[in-house]
Amino acid sequence: MSLRLGDTVLFIAALFIVLLALPSFCLAAENTIGVIMTGDIPYYQELHKSFMARLGQLGLASKTEVLVQKPYPDHISLSNAARKLIAMEGDVIVVYGAPAAVAVVKERTKIPMVYAAVYEPFMSELKTRYSTGVYVRLSISSLLRYLRSLRQIKTLGVVYSSNEEDSVYQFSELAKLAAQYGMKVDGINLKRHQEAQAMLAKRRVDAVLITGSSVAHMAMGQIIEYAKANAIPYASFFLSTDARAMVSLAANPNQQGEKIADKTQKILDGVSPDKVRSDAATEIELVFNMKDATSMGMKLPMELVTEATKLIK
Amino acid sequence: MMKARHYMTFLLIMAAVMVWPLRAWGDTEILIGLIPEENIFNQMDRHRPLAAYLSKKVGATVRFTILSRYGDVMDRFVSRKMDGAFFGVFTGVLAIDRIDAEPIARPVGLSGSSIVQSYIFVRNDSGIRDVNDMKGKRIVFVDRATVTGYLYALSYLREHGVASPETYFREVSFAGSHGSTIYAVLDGRADIGTVKSTIFQKLVAKDPVIKEELSIIARSRELPDTTLFLRKDLPQSLRAKIKAALLAMDREPEGVNVLKKLEAQKFIDAKKEDFAAFYDIARTAGISVKTYKYR
Repeated sequence: MSLRLGDTVLFIAALFIVLLALPSFCLAAENTIGVIMTGDIPYYQELHKSFMARLGQLGLASKTEVLVQKPYPDHISLSNAARKLIAMEGDVIVVYGAPAAVAVVKERTKIPMVYAAVYEPFMSELKTRYSTGVYVRLSISSLLRYLRSLRQIKTLGVVYSSNEEDSVYQFSELAKLAAQYGMKVDGINLKRHQEAQAMLAKRRVDAVLITGSSVAHMAMGQIIEYAKANAIPYASFFLSTDARAMVSLAANPNQQGEKIADKTQKILDGVSPDKVRSDAATEIELVFNMKDATSMGMKLPMELVTEATKLIK
Repeated sequence: MMKARHYMTFLLIMAAVMVWPLRAWGDTEILIGLIPEENIFNQMDRHRPLAAYLSKKVGATVRFTILSRYGDVMDRFVSRKMDGAFFGVFTGVLAIDRIDAEPIARPVGLSGSSIVQSYIFVRNDSGIRDVNDMKGKRIVFVDRATVTGYLYALSYLREHGVASPETYFREVSFAGSHGSTIYAVLDGRADIGTVKSTIFQKLVAKDPVIKEELSIIARSRELPDTTLFLRKDLPQSLRAKIKAALLAMDREPEGVNVLKKLEAQKFIDAKKEDFAAFYDIARTAGISVKTYKYR
């Protein structure tokens, strides 16, 4: 009954594989979280950093596997990312931005979803038993008002993306407001960020307002270059640490990251998402990039200087 | 000869003594403080022509200065040896109570009104319609030393069963001016605000979109608008001159131009009794002027 050499080799190989796999099996994460960003932009990166930091504070980082998807902000890429995470059967799907949240809801999954940076008018589309999160209420008229205080605007360029529903909504709201102020609106529908330079080159606008579109923010460098070359003011609904708008009105990403980590913890503890209250981001920042405004010879409106929560000098 | 020289010297001294008060006011300035109600640069721009006008009428240099913040108003008034100030309702009551200042006159706004109200307001899309909806939200006041920007809201909240705003609201902040309070709510940096009606109306007139975005959910009773007070120890003749100049402004072309820049129709007489309504609000808010810590 002695073992043949081939059997012995086979036995040793099998044992080796089991021993190799054992540590990773023993250390396997207790939880799996899938994250989808609507585009890889600094605002969502910042939000995610705070989310991870808070998970660490809650003692979840070491026992949680976090898989991050950064699809291009178009319907197909977002839908693919959502399907991948659903197929993975994680415990929670965390999404940044309305388009990613809508993509997950469309898949009709029962995996709990926690959203952040979702523009409030889209909340109705996300109201399912399986979702909760942090939404953002932003005043379109305020950002336009501050932009107007920098320069008289006859034609306003609005950068949006028809692939991102929230930015389309903001564009249509801006068009209504602009009509009230007697301004013309030139909508710049950006589907790929690489197209920004070519699309902007043809325009003659007095100011640029960048909606909460990720594609637009991926093209921020080109938009700023265009604005500086034409000495026109530019404003945005996102905050950025590198390519900053002259005026930004946005919800603080760090607060949102922390809030959704707390909500995620509750869900991981077994609380049903519909029992975890969704709430609004409360830290709204108005940032005035005085450095750029001054270098471009703009007048400094006192209203903006006094109201800004942060001044960049 | 000696007698005549003594007589001449006596006459010269007497003349100098008689002329001294006039020379003193001609050379020195009358410093009048302004409480920071709105954008302070706009406020100074509006008042500068009034300073020039009064200087000419009174024969002394009248100068306006912004009092840094509401809470410091009375200390600043005393420490900077001010001669007068345009005070709001609460600071006016403090001025009467603590330094025995005299209300002189107050402007009638372009709408024809010289009274104000306090408004408690929210964004239309906030879903807040009453005190119950306010629980856990962010409220922004102007300053503890204002009726229209704080004390009325305090009395309203107490009337509706909210004894401690600090625990009822998630965040309580003070914007420092009425204009900043309005912008904080408009921008979404706060959910509820409380301000003086005239500043609210002025911003709405400038930008009608604001009216569509904000809702007023409570209004106080009518109160006197910003009033000019002067120190009681200023010579009576000078106080009378200033008052007369202000009350006659709307009857002469130069005065009308200055009023236009001030965004007022005319000045009307002001009395201590105008401030009686304050005491009802103070009672409901649970404060006493003597002991209230407004700083």
